[in-house]
Parts: sequence; C-alpha cells; structure tokens
Amino acid sequence: MANEEKVDKEEPRIGVYVCHCGLNIAGTVNCEEVAKFASTLPQVVIAKDNRYTCSDQGQELIKNDIKEHKLNRVVVASCSPRLHEPTFRKACEEAGLNKYLFEMANIREQCSWVHLHDKEAATDKAKDLVRAAVAKAALLEPEIETEVSITRKALVIGGGVAGIQAALDLADTGYKVYLVEKEPSIGGRMAQIDKTFPTMDCSICILAPKMSDVGHHPNIELLTNSEVQEVKGYIGNFKVKVLKRPRYVTDDCSACNDCSAVCPIAAPNEFDVGLATRKAIYTPFAQAVPSTYIIDREICLNKEGVMTCDKCIKACERQAIDFDMKPQTLDLEVGTIIVATGADVYNPSSLQNYGYTRHPNVITSLEFERLINAGGPSGGNLIRPSDMKIPKSVAFIQCVGSRSKKGNLYCSNVCCMNTIKDSLLIKEHWPDVKIYVFYVDIRAFGKGFEDLYRRAKEEGVIFIRGLPAEVAEDRKTSNLWLIGENTLQKEIYKVNVGMVILSVGIEPCQDSNVIQRLFTLSRTSDGFFMEAHPKLRPVDTPTGGVFLAGCAESPKDIKDSVTQASAAAARAGILMAQGKVTVEAITPEPIPENCQVCGLCAQVCPYNAIIVDKESKLVEVIEAACAGCGTCGAECQFDALHMRHFTNAQILSQIDALTEEDADKKIIAFCCNWCAYAGADFAGVSRMQYPPNVRIIRTMCSGRVSPKFVEHAFARGAGAVLVAGCHPGDCHYIDANNQTQKRVERLWKKMDRLRVDKDRLQLLWASAAEGERVASKVRDMQAVLNELSPEEVEKSKKAFEGS
Amino acid sequence: MGLIVPQRLWRKPLDAEKIKLPKAEIHIIPDLCKGCGFCIEFCPKKVLEKSDQINKRGAYPPKVVDESKCALCGFCTAICPEFAIFTIEKKNEEGCEGGKNE
Repeated sequence: MANEEKVDKEEPRIGVYVCHCGLNIAGTVNCEEVAKFASTLPQVVIAKDNRYTCSDQGQELIKNDIKEHKLNRVVVASCSPRLHEPTFRKACEEAGLNKYLFEMANIREQCSWVHLHDKEAATDKAKDLVRAAVAKAALLEPEIETEVSITRKALVIGGGVAGIQAALDLADTGYKVYLVEKEPSIGGRMAQIDKTFPTMDCSICILAPKMSDVGHHPNIELLTNSEVQEVKGYIGNFKVKVLKRPRYVTDDCSACNDCSAVCPIAAPNEFDVGLATRKAIYTPFAQAVPSTYIIDREICLNKEGVMTCDKCIKACERQAIDFDMKPQTLDLEVGTIIVATGADVYNPSSLQNYGYTRHPNVITSLEFERLINAGGPSGGNLIRPSDMKIPKSVAFIQCVGSRSKKGNLYCSNVCCMNTIKDSLLIKEHWPDVKIYVFYVDIRAFGKGFEDLYRRAKEEGVIFIRGLPAEVAEDRKTSNLWLIGENTLQKEIYKVNVGMVILSVGIEPCQDSNVIQRLFTLSRTSDGFFMEAHPKLRPVDTPTGGVFLAGCAESPKDIKDSVTQASAAAARAGILMAQGKVTVEAITPEPIPENCQVCGLCAQVCPYNAIIVDKESKLVEVIEAACAGCGTCGAECQFDALHMRHFTNAQILSQIDALTEEDADKKIIAFCCNWCAYAGADFAGVSRMQYPPNVRIIRTMCSGRVSPKFVEHAFARGAGAVLVAGCHPGDCHYIDANNQTQKRVERLWKKMDRLRVDKDRLQLLWASAAEGERVASKVRDMQAVLNELSPEEVEKSKKAFEGS
Repeated sequence: MGLIVPQRLWRKPLDAEKIKLPKAEIHIIPDLCKGCGFCIEFCPKKVLEKSDQINKRGAYPPKVVDESKCALCGFCTAICPEFAIFTIEKKNEEGCEGGKNE
C-alpha cells in the first residue's frame, strides 16, 4: 500500500489514549495525569484519557483522530495486549493505518490491579509504561502479513469417540479426512464401556453406527493399525508421514472367524483388559471397524522368513491371508489436524494398600465394564475372578489415582458418575447385592447427574465418606476387608465384601510426549495438552491449524468429548472454508551487510527455518516455517537479523524509556508472551499484590532476550533484571527457552567476573497459570533492590558501559 | 498351553481353562533319524531337544521336552528328510476345535 510506505519516512505523529476502564484503572491510577504526561513526550501529537477505549465510541475517537490529526502511530494504555490488541489493531486498520503501527501499554493487569493500595506509585509506573510504549511506537514499522493457502484436507489422530465425531463432521461438511488409529479397530474407550451415564444407554449400541459410518464414508480414509511418524510444515500445509503396519489379512476378509477357530495360539485380549482370550489371528471385538481380521505377529508361529504353520491360510476360503504384507509409509498432505489421542486409565498396582494384582477379587472399573458387558468374557455376569461366583456384596473405592499425591493431583471428572452408574447396573441385575461406595466427595455436577445419584441412594447403595486405608484379603474365602475412617461420623469402619472395584482415574496417554514433540504442543502440569486460551479458544492449540478434542485435552465424559470434537471440526472447517490464512509479520529479515555467515542463528532455530549457505554467503528465512520466537535475533552478534515488530532498536528504546528516571529502584523484566507475561496478567486478574517497581517488557519468547538487552539495562543503571519464560519443556517454540537459560548462565558468569552482584539478574520459569510465582519473584527481587548500594549500581553501569 | 500372557496384562483370562487348544501327541521314530536337527531348530515352540541316546544310524534323535507346548503346526513332519517324526492330535473328550484340518 502506498500510504504505508510513506509512513516509514514520515516523522512519527503519535496519539496516546489512556483508558480508565471504569474504575478498574482509574480507581488506582490517575489517568488524567498520565495523559497529561504523555502529551509532553516527544513526537506525541495528542494524548487523551477516556472511560472505555475499547467501546465503539472509544474506537471511533481513535479513528477520527487518525484522520483529523494525521496520526501515524497509536498507543493505547489500558488492559493487556493479550486481551484487546486485536480490537485496537482492527480500529487502526479501519482508519487506514497499518496495524503494526499500534502499540499498547498494559496499565491494568500489570499495574492498577496489582498495586491497588499505592496510587502514587501506580501512577508513576503507568507513566513509565506509557513512555516505553511511546518510545517503541516511534520506531514501529508497517508490516505486510503473508497469506498462506490452506489444503482442504484434514487429519484426525485417534479413532475414539472424539476422533470419530470430528472425522464425521468434517467429512459431512465435504472435506477429505484421514483418520489415523494405532489400534486394529476404531472405537476407543467408549467401545469397552458397557453403559453410559446418566441415560444408561448401551455404549457400543450408540457408538457402532458411528463407527460403521466412518468405515463407509466416501470422504474418510480410515488408517487403522497406523501411527503418525513425522509432521512437517505449518498451518494449512502440513506434510505428515503415517506408518501403516500390516494386518497380514487383506480387505477380502469376510470376518467369518474360520481362521481364528483353527489358530493354535491364544493370548489375553487387550480389548477385554486381559479377562478373555483371543487367538493370534483375531478381531478385537464383534463390532470392530474395519471388520478385517489381523494377525499378531508377536505371537504367531510364523516368524519373518520361516513359515511353520499354515492353518489359517488353509481355513480361509477367500484366500485373504497374506504373510508377505509389508509396513507402508504414507505421505499425506493436510491443511488442518485434530488431535484426539484420548487417555489411558490409571494403573493402581503401585498403590500397595489396595492390593491390586495381589488379591484376585480387587478389580478396576475398566475390568468391571468388561465383566458387566453382555458381550464380555463372563457374558455379562459380575463374577469374582477367584471363584467365578457372583459376590454378595461389593465395594467401590473412589479417587483411585486421582486427587492425591500418590497418583495424580487432578480430579478425573468421570469416575463418580461412572461408579453411580455401575452401582445401578448391579442393582438392576442382582438387587440383593449389597453395594458400598467409599468416596472423598461425590461430584454429580452435570445434566441429569444428580438424579442418577439420588436414584442410586434410593436403590440402597451405601455411600460412606472416607477412603479405606487398607484392603486386606481373607485367605479362606478370598473376601476382602476394608478398613478406614468414616469422616462424617468420625468412626472407624471395617467392612467385609466379596469384591472390590477400584474406580481408577484417567491419565494422559503414554505416547503424549511423542504427539507433543510432533506438533510442538504444550502440556499442563497434569500432562494433558494445553489449549490456546482456556476460556475463549478451548479447542485451539498454540500451533496454528492444530486442534484438540476429547480426553487428550483433559479428562471428560462422552458427551463433552463429542461436543468438543464437533467444536474442533468446526474450527478446522473455518480455516478450510476460507482456504487461506495470514501469518503474523514477526519473522526475521536477514541484513546481508552485517551478516558474517557464522550460522549460529540456524543452529538455535527450533524450527529449522533458517538456511545458511556458507558458500554463497546467503542466509534465507523460510517465513512459513518460522514461528517468530526471535531466538535467532538474540543469538546474532552482528545485528544481522531484523526481528520484525520486536527489533533490537525497539526493545532497547523500551529499556531506555524505563530507565530514564530512578533506574536503580527498578526491576526491568523481560517476559515471554505465552507463559510469564500471561502469568503476570493472571496475577493481575487475581489481584495479587506485589511491589510496584517492576517494569515488564513483552517479547514473544524469552529466547528473544539478547544478552545485550540485559547488559544495556545494567549500563543504564537498572537495579535488577528479570528474564522470565515458560517452564523447560513447555516452551511454545519447542525448546527456544533452552537458549534463554544458556544466555542467562553466561551472563551470570560474566557478572561474576566483573564482580557485579549476581542476584541482580534472575531467571524465572512461570506458566500462564502461575501468577503467584511471578508476584513472589517480584517480592524476592524487591529485597535485592533494598540491599543495593549506589556504589554497586555505579560498578555495573561502568562494567557494562557501551552495551 | 499355547497361551501367552504379555507383561502388562497380568491377570489369567477367565476363559483360560475353557479355550480348546489342540493337544498333540508327538511321535518320533528314533532309528529313522539321521540327526540333522532341523526339527529341533525350526520348531516354533521349542518343544524338542537333542537326546543322548545314540541310534542305529549313529545319530542322536530328538526327544520331547514338553509335549503340552506343541501347537500341532506340523512343521517338523514337513521338514524331516527321513520321515522320522510326526504329530497327531490327542482326541480328548470335549473335542478339539483346533484340529479341524488335520
């Protein structure tokens, strides 16, 4: 655009808008004074304060001023840019101003809300933050975002109910879908479950039609017994390698079972949690999709190269058995990906006091599902493994592996209702069986859940609060003694039952780390995949074009999984319907004049997005692969990478502005956009109070923080510097924060050498949910500031002079 | 028994006693054996091993270690160059699903 190029050369004309946000800001910060202060800053043409800048009137004011006062830069001092930057950028664009010429000062989450009781200091801090924003704004440059086309094909990983629903929704919309499942059949956990709560529908009866739809849908290519091996590319243009392991049975299989009947090798069936057997050639369950049988070569007599047994080949009339099948690697090109890899159940054998695996009559809730299922190993009879008899009494133990340091800290969400459902199933078939439920809390929070809970109580299920401390076995009868404390009545109980069912929790899949690495996703401390925003983007991931559905994101029931799957399909569908997407213009541009072709930038790039050709002395950035973390820019010693929108000059100008007055009383903090900055925002939202002397500069990744930024801050007399990023392993740019750590460690060494107090530079890992961690770090560092002598400040100023 | 229990599934399947796997009778004709050892080497269930009884031909014929492990695949019969070994299915009272084709 012509006028955008013009801006580059024009003298900056900056407009500053200080928002009251009702009393959210104005209650603490004197906004009028801040606006008056802003008007004195260089290149500021106008500065105003208003009640709600994000309102339509507030935006209109900005738009009018852009036209009337010929503003070519806009600064809004209000809430976090994580909240309203898109709003104001859009307003600027509507007034004909490139959206990259907009800058924000966060004076709510990181100022007024965290210094509620110190109005003067908060106002001073707000002024500082505005000064830094104005300084950066003066150096902002217009950027043009590149457009990326989107392949109208989707990949769904995981064939549980979430994956099935997402695949069907997308396929019905008209997009080609590849559904990859690592097991021989789709269906997932839902296929193993007998009934669903709270409606008591037969699980497989409602799932089987959907599974069959997937098998027959013209737009779905079902890849079972397959795993994703490699993912390359970026939003809209993923290149995926899928390993399709051989079934050794062709599609000619009619599932007649003749082969299985003659097979001489048997093993426990994984689908029945080992409670029933299967042969080496088998189908995991009757409703399996695809229905084609599969040979387990691990146990089959025929090893590679030596065919010793031909019983199944002889028995198969349709000659569908082919021992020569080889693994295939498929190359798929897709535009969007839905991760629906599901969850595992907690293995209770490590909880010694419950005796699982020692006492045969202690079973898990998943084993229970197979036992009570008419198609299961016992034909639907709830029999005790020890003597195959129906027990006269049973006990459910809740929260096994959940809400405890011994297992996982989180609530697994479904176990309470699952137990209530199971207890009603027992009452339905064997009304005389006495049922105890030992619980911590009963969480019956969903639609129709409380009704089911009431019904269970009416049917005579005995609910006792307080988990047993121990489950002991009676050697003679194989009955079990449960000993514990009833915490409502403050009594010790000792209960004898015929069978114990451990209500096991849900855990992240064992191969979650593989998926995490393949897609550069993040996981919460619980191990489940993290959404882009917990409230407003609950099925998006931080990786563009990748969405989440089902238990991969958090433990959830079938209804929530299906809801989320449809949501993920809709989100993926939006991208594919548009057919194109723009990527943020925050990628680096090489400056050939400065470049020494050392190749360090390429070495630290987590995405391999920089190609250095030492012969032709060329550095090329593959813009589509670059995510804009800026760790290359921080590594470059020669100013040879221009990090768009987070340039060296812009960040140095922010440091200069923040250290202009009373630098020795301030902490200059560099926070990454995703974790530490979000964590600081979270501290604000939660109104956690901390000392007002910290000044936060936002970068996309802590890897952007060049050692020279830190040195420059000290040279300017800053009292202390904080570098904060995501926890190791949680970096939103794969592992760019490893570089952060290395750089800070190098700086510490240098400070040691220069005899500068090392405590003045600190490193913090804090997630977006750890506001208190950020707040307490600032409090700790305030203590460092309090100890600081003027001589020490002078020493560091001299030591880093010229940085 | 032909039942293989992988480690992560610890429980003995409830139908472990009921599944009808074929039961074998292994017959070795020691004096026909020339001691090539093919049957021992290729048996997928490792049912056979070399005996210490020398035969008329001066060879050591195989002996059965554990007949119950035999899956009746018949590979020993097929591979023996001297027709010195064969397996037949034990007729047990319940009948054997597994032996249909023999």
